[in-house]
Amino acid sequence: MLRAPRAFPYRLLLPAVVAMLAVVLFPLLYNFYLAFRNMSLYHYADHRFVGLTQFRQLFSQPILYVLFGKSLLWTALNLFFHVAIGLFLAILLTGPIKGRAFYRTVFILPWAMPQYISALTWRGMFNYEYGAVNLILQRLHLPAVPWLTDQVWAFLAPVIVNIWLGFPFMMIVCLGALSAIPRDLYEAADLDGANAWQKFRNVTWPQILPVLTPAVLLGTIWTFNNMVVIWLVSQGGQPADQTHIMVSYIYKVAFTYYRYSYAAAFSVIVFLILLGFVLFTLRRAAPLEART
Amino acid sequence: MPTVELIHVSKSYGRGARAVDDVNLEIRDGEFLVLVGPSGCGKSTVLRMVAGLEEVTEGQVKIGPRVVNEVPPKDRDIAMVFQNYALYPHMTVYENMAFGLKRRKLPEPEVDRKVRGAAKTLGLEGYLQRRPRELSGGERQRVALGRAMVRDPQVFLFDEPLSNLDAKLRVQMRAEIKRLHRRVSATMIYVTHDQVEAMTLGDRIAVLKGGVLQQVADPFALYQRPANQFVAGFIGSPPINFFDATVSPAGDRIEAHGVAVPLPAALAARLEPVRGRAVTVGVRPEDLALSADGPGAALDGTVEVLEPLGNEVLVHWQTPVGALISRVPGQSAPGVGEQGRLHFLYVKLHFFDPQTEKALDGAAVAV
Repeated sequence: MLRAPRAFPYRLLLPAVVAMLAVVLFPLLYNFYLAFRNMSLYHYADHRFVGLTQFRQLFSQPILYVLFGKSLLWTALNLFFHVAIGLFLAILLTGPIKGRAFYRTVFILPWAMPQYISALTWRGMFNYEYGAVNLILQRLHLPAVPWLTDQVWAFLAPVIVNIWLGFPFMMIVCLGALSAIPRDLYEAADLDGANAWQKFRNVTWPQILPVLTPAVLLGTIWTFNNMVVIWLVSQGGQPADQTHIMVSYIYKVAFTYYRYSYAAAFSVIVFLILLGFVLFTLRRAAPLEART
Repeated sequence: MPTVELIHVSKSYGRGARAVDDVNLEIRDGEFLVLVGPSGCGKSTVLRMVAGLEEVTEGQVKIGPRVVNEVPPKDRDIAMVFQNYALYPHMTVYENMAFGLKRRKLPEPEVDRKVRGAAKTLGLEGYLQRRPRELSGGERQRVALGRAMVRDPQVFLFDEPLSNLDAKLRVQMRAEIKRLHRRVSATMIYVTHDQVEAMTLGDRIAVLKGGVLQQVADPFALYQRPANQFVAGFIGSPPINFFDATVSPAGDRIEAHGVAVPLPAALAARLEPVRGRAVTVGVRPEDLALSADGPGAALDGTVEVLEPLGNEVLVHWQTPVGALISRVPGQSAPGVGEQGRLHFLYVKLHFFDPQTEKALDGAAVAV
């Protein structure tokens, strides 16, 4: 028999529901609302509905495509090195070495540090004249690098910082996956006459792939939307807004140039890109899970 | 000429105790040798040293005429079947079997011929394009067998290959391994903790305990003339009965817990060296007969528990010498609580030194 739902449990849920609505749903909907209006410093109080004007403007300017490219490059470079370094170190750490616990702790440190502290410290180290990086390069008789002033180097500097920040996560994931590989697979490979590379190709890699794939998917989304590092290291896109990815540019446009509706429309595009990515990969990841 | 020879082989890990202690063992060409013992007895370690997956701490391992201590596993001309199959999960059955051959740079048609040949023998022809996860445990272990077969090795090594299978499948695979042995007539070394597997498969059985070899013998000798109390207790199910007794000073009877059993002259002569001393007597459950009178010694007992097995019943007795188990045909089983007189044949009695636990006279004392 159905009974009338009791109100008390719902009253208990209410604060959480209100908070979620206020900080997640409302800003999202308000962002969509703004994207179709012309709110900016000029039209702060008197903004009005302008339809697809903001989007039309965005798609007609090269900045969207340039930044999309940079976001992709930023994500790809980061993820590649996160996985490569993380996996490499994880394999070293699963091997027969002394002081395993010590190294593991040391390698996790970058990840354990708050991002903004690392980012600002690195920015100091990238200083052309007094930064540790250039001082070391000069000790090695290498030319000093204009880390923060040349547009290519100024983009690579935050990439390096973010790689440094992110590889421990992949290392931990790989360590877990590696320790779950049955030892007898390697022994069977030994008996089959496989060398180190063939063992990696035929045992290690296929065994860690199911674990690595979701980690890479997550990492892609985090990195694509991670503006903290690039913003702090390049000090808001210096030189001359050349070192932006999409999200950091949106932040600058909104809160430095006060082009709220333009930024909101840009956000909607980023949102749709990531939504598409997630839907696409979820469909591909499902069969992968079934395999394990 | 022995195919595999272990000469004073020991293995220790770090500074710890020896996992394998001074094992000497010859496995003849074409022989099926089973290494058996309780878990942790070092049997797998011995096998893995033959395979080259564990380093030999002391002694020599020889395969054929050469010492292989320093030879990597792939160059030892061996194949191994693992307990957990150790199939490459992302490869098909075909690829799993072909992997080792391809690493050895065999020409493609040759690989194909061998893989298909092994698949045919093992009834795996329909499974070649499947992956291991699509197979049952028994099928997976057959693939693992196939992977070993295609290599045509001099020596097959099995590390508890049937432990993960259910009872029925185990019997089936046991027969399959036996057939394989007959057909390829290669040397096989097989590790198990299951004494039934050991008895049914082995030409000879090596019993290990605590890293020390206890006895190497064929199944009948092992059962009928165990070298010590451990082997006597380990082989046979239900296990052999032990009870403490004393040989009378005159040597004409044994006394146990107030019961005196007269000994025939021939047996008394055999027990001459231990006159007046304590012995441990072993008697197998099937050698205890329930009858009002009969040959041999007798003990009075009370039935405590019955374990019917269908064709026969295991009867747990309480007797003056302690608890004993006898095995009787189903129809002649007594009821719980009943009294009965148990006879055992002198010829079937085993005597052990209670201190060393070694069999007196090196084997069962027979009349």
